[in-house]
Parts: sequence; C-alpha cells; structure tokens
Amino acid sequence: MQSVSEDVTVHDDDVELERTIGLVGGLAIGIGTMIGAGIFVFPGLAAGNAGPAAALSFAIGGVIALLVALPASELATAMPRSGGGYYFVSRTMGTAYGSIVGLGLWLGLVFASAFYLVGLGHYVAAVLAEVGVALSVSPVVPLGLVFGVGLVGLSVAGTENTTKLQNLVVGILLVILTLFLSYGTLDTVGVFGRETTPETFFPQGYFPVLSTAALVFTSYLGFAQVATVAGDIQRPSRNLPLAMVGSVVVVTVFYVLTIFVATSVYGATQLEEFGETAMVEVAREFVGLPGAVAILFAGLLATFSSANASILSASRTVYALSRDALLPQKASEINLRYGTPHVALLAAGVPILLLVATGRVQVLAEVASFLHLLMYGLICIAVIVLRRRDPAWYDPSYRMPGSPLLPAVGAIASFGLVAFMQPASIVIGILVMMLSYLWYRYYAQAVELKGAL
Amino acid sequence: MTDKPTVLVPIQVLEGESIPEGVPELLANASVVVLGYHVVPEQTATGQARLQFEERALGRLDEFETILENAGASVETQLVFTHDEQQTIDRVSVEHGCLAVLVPNATSPPENVFVAIRGTVGLDRLVRVVAGLFAGTDIGVTLYHLVAEDESDEDVRTLLDGVVARLTEAGMDPDSIDLQIERDRTPQDAIVAAADEFDALVVGESDPSLVTFVFGMRVAQVAEWFLGPVLVIQRERPQEDDLGRSKD
Repeated sequence: MQSVSEDVTVHDDDVELERTIGLVGGLAIGIGTMIGAGIFVFPGLAAGNAGPAAALSFAIGGVIALLVALPASELATAMPRSGGGYYFVSRTMGTAYGSIVGLGLWLGLVFASAFYLVGLGHYVAAVLAEVGVALSVSPVVPLGLVFGVGLVGLSVAGTENTTKLQNLVVGILLVILTLFLSYGTLDTVGVFGRETTPETFFPQGYFPVLSTAALVFTSYLGFAQVATVAGDIQRPSRNLPLAMVGSVVVVTVFYVLTIFVATSVYGATQLEEFGETAMVEVAREFVGLPGAVAILFAGLLATFSSANASILSASRTVYALSRDALLPQKASEINLRYGTPHVALLAAGVPILLLVATGRVQVLAEVASFLHLLMYGLICIAVIVLRRRDPAWYDPSYRMPGSPLLPAVGAIASFGLVAFMQPASIVIGILVMMLSYLWYRYYAQAVELKGAL
Repeated sequence: MTDKPTVLVPIQVLEGESIPEGVPELLANASVVVLGYHVVPEQTATGQARLQFEERALGRLDEFETILENAGASVETQLVFTHDEQQTIDRVSVEHGCLAVLVPNATSPPENVFVAIRGTVGLDRLVRVVAGLFAGTDIGVTLYHLVAEDESDEDVRTLLDGVVARLTEAGMDPDSIDLQIERDRTPQDAIVAAADEFDALVVGESDPSLVTFVFGMRVAQVAEWFLGPVLVIQRERPQEDDLGRSKD
C-alpha cells in the first residue's frame, strides 16, 4: 500500500519518501528546460522558415502545450509519481502503450538533450568567435560532445544541487530577458524613434507557419518534465497544475515577444543566416557589445540548464521503466560510492553523445517533439478514458475544464502537428515506435503493471 | 513521574552512523523517535534508493530500537529517503510532536548534564524534557546562565530560582541541581570548558530549524565544540490545520 500526502509519499512499514521541490522549484524546472530552446536556438531558424509569422507558430505551439498541460495536470494530481506521462499512459492503457510511450519518452529526452547540447555548442562557439579565437573547422559538435561527457560525468560522480541552482539560473534568465524584450518591444513600436521596415507577415505563405510550429514545439517539452519529478513535488495537488500550466504560459509569452522583436530588427533571411545564435545579433543591434555579451551569457546558461535537466529526466524515465520491469532491474541500480543511478545515467548519456555527433539541430528537435507529441496525445486520451471508466482509485484533486472536448482537441492537435514535420524526422520517429513495440513483444509482454486499470 | 518526553534521534542510517555510546542511558526515560534517514543526491529518485536500500536500513533501525528499548526507552522508528536532510528532520520532529532533537555524539555513561538557560522563552518545554529525562535517576544537572550586559544579578537569580522550582515541582531532587553563573565569557569558551566536565548538553532552539542559533550560533557548531550529545529543545510550532494554514 502507498499513500501520498502533502510532503511525503508513505509506503508501508513507516518508510517515507520526502518531497523536496516547491512551487518555485517546479516552475523553474518547467521554464528552465523550455526557455533554452525557444529563445536561444530557434528564432533564427523559425524566422527563416516562416518570417514574422513564426510568432504565430510559437503561439500555436503554446496553445497545444496548454491543451496537454491541463490533462497532464489532472493526471499528475491523481498519480503524483516519478515517470510522469509514461506512468499515466501505462496505468490507463496497459503495458503495450506504456512500453511505446515509456521507451519513446526516454529516447525523446535523449534526442532533446542532444539538441540542447548542440545548441550549447553553438553558444560556446559564438563566445570563442567573440573573443577572437579563429578555428578552421566548426567547433560546435566537438564542444557539444565535451559538454555532454562533462554533464553525464558530473551527474554520475557529483552531488548536484541542481534544484537550487536551477532556481537561480531561471531567475537570472528571466531578468535578462525581461529587460531585453521590454526594451526591444518599446523600440519596435517606435518609442526610441527607430524606423522599422514592416515585412510581410506571411512571406512564405501559411503552410510554413504550421511546419515551423512542428519544428519549434521542442521549446515546449519542459512542462512534462515537471511531471517526471512529480514524486518530489510538495503539495502536488496544488503545485503540479500551477507549475505545468504556469510555465507554459510564461514561456509562450516570452517566445512570441522574442520573435516579434527579432523580426522587426532584422529581415527573415538575415536572421536565418545568423542561425542558432541570431538573438545575440539582435541584442547587439539594440545596445551594442554589452547586449551581445548579456545574451551570449544567458544563452550559455539556458542551453546548459536545459541539457542538464533533460539528461536527468531521461535517467528518471529509465528508472521508472526499470521499476516496472519494462527494462532490466539492473538499469535502476544505484552506485554505492556516489549514490547515483549510474546505469540509468549512462543509458541516457551514451545515445545522447551519438546523436550530438550528428550535429543536426532540426532533425534532433523534431524527433524529440515527435516522441513527446505521441505521449501528449495519449495523455489527452487517458483523461477521456479515465473520466469515462471512473475507477475507484482515480481521484484527481484538479479536474480540467471542458472534458471530453478539450482533451479530444488536444489529442488531435498533438498527433496532427506530427504531420507537418520533415519526412526524415517522421521516419525516425516511427522507427523508434516500432522498435519500442518490438521490445515490448520480446521483453515485456508478460509484465503486469501494479495499479493498472 | 512526569510524562515521557518525546525526543527525536536522527541517524544517517546507511552512512555507518549508529546509536552512540551513552545515548541509550541518557534517553532511558524518553519516548524516542528514531529517524533513520538517507540523503540521496538530486539526480537519484528517492524511490530508486528505497528499492535498493530499504531492507538494509530497516534492519539497522530494528537493531537501534532494541538497543534503546533495552535501556528502558519506548521507541518508534521511521525511515525516510530524502534530498533534504534539514526538511526531513524538521518535518518528522513536528509530526511526532518532539520536544527535543538529539545531535547524536558519543559520551561516557552520563552523570552530569549541562543545561544552558537563555531566558524565559521555551522554559516550559525545557523543564518537561530535563525533568522527564533525569528525575529519579542518578544523573545530575547543572543550570548554566551566561549573563548579558543589561542583566542584573537579581534578574539572573529570579530566572534560575524559577527554573529550579519548576524542575523540583516536576519531580527532580533539588540536591541534584547545581547552578553556574558566568559573565564576560564567550559562548564558545563556555561550551568548550563544559565539554571537559559534562556528559551531555541541553540547549534551546531559537529558530525553526535544528541547524540554527543557540547561544547566538549554529547548533552544528555547538555540537562540534562540545563533542558529546546535544539535546536541542524545539520551539513551539504554531498548530496547523489540514490546509496548511496557521491557526493562531
């Protein structure tokens, strides 16, 4: 028997698991994981694809994320356990769906981590360029690899104080971005006398708005990571919904403003040329070198913390799968010397490094989104299923409004967005799903999940 | 006989910590809550640590329970896997209504206990702990007061006489209570000097957490200077209702 209270998860025999992350910590996990991508990696790429309408792409992404955050909140308050979306889907729809979503989530986070590490590599490379180090080959991928090895090593052998650090990092980021975007917005609307040349809003037509929404959806994966550490969140019934919905709303506003400001300073083609570090040039245009340095610094912090958070979430997911015997028990083993889950961390770290080596930002981002969107769609369906069957244990303290219509829309939007991705990403995503299903047939078919419907 | 005072004994159960020498005798008259806890790094899920270590930790806690019960205490045990030691100690202390938390250091069989009296705040709980633990035993207590600059001798006298009266009323033999008053001394000196002479230290808590200021400094620091077991009297917590709101 288990019971969940405000501060602690109680198991039998007076064994308790302390809950140590409050609302601020939860928001910091969500915002900190998301903001690295949407502001510091995507604006140049997105504007290149869709022009100023990329702001609309981010808004669409935000609406879809919100449509998933609501049902995810309801499920998380009913089942506040480590594993998040995997746990909800596996307990509602059984082992087969659970395996596909669980293994998909693990690999989705692996793709996301690789994406953030490549982004981080771009920022470090930009710093090197700024201080005048000229290199004959692009240092982006090697730098991404070095940081990847460093972060995994740190997670295995170090005692991290990531939650407290994360709060601080997110605080600094929000201050820098608020200043930057306030100045940029005022400037754009003409307060400081700048002449902006308004571009056509849809220079490439309407389709790129949706395909860009599919690309940049990686910027919205972080809210689900709050659910991944649901077992650590204090007062889960209140803090989980607030942290998930709140972080989605905050980052959506920031993303839309960022694109608005960026596209009013430079034309879309120019931004595309700047690439992953376009925001540095935008800041330079506003306030010169200090602006560029501030955004470089913020970009380093943001991509670093996103990469770190995703690696840890991937390892948590491996633990959740191993706890349920969908992966070997060995995978959740804890290192006696460091007290860390070294096998799970390596199960995240090794494939991450392989993917970083490809250096393909867009494909990495889209596959990460694909695998998450699959889970998001099923989360929406899980709410509809649970509301209909209403099992005795299902007692969420937060109930989303508008069921079954809103979760149905959320599911359709999640699955629908996948259709707008590049063919390569869709193929890789489907391959991962098929491999997950085969793994289920080969390894986990006999597994009966505790607490399943 | 007074009620058995509830004392929390936090032990890092998987780090080789044990019930130190002398502590079972010191707490023979207490209702002891043994908090076995294990701090896991943030990258590890607490549930993951539980899977691997629960059995071993529970085995250790059973041993501790037996040791303390054999000395005469009544014992409850609790095992917690946590990322935050302080939060866990505070929470369990409040949940079990503990009057004091022990900083578990070893000592010789206790004969003489050093009780720091700061002022009237929290005296009620201090009296319950000291009388509850030591009334009717061979253990003597020394009430110690470090005189502040704006305090007159008369103030000090009234304070300490009051404490003696209440301890006696609670069942202690007046002959087993000594008084010691000092001025112009740093708290550090006082504690280090006491360490030679006394087997255990009782101090009050002035902040909501264990690692906080007594004598104007951190308990961890005090424990380090004193080297022996330190009982930290817990402040009165405001009662909370189910929604986590304060009642007062």
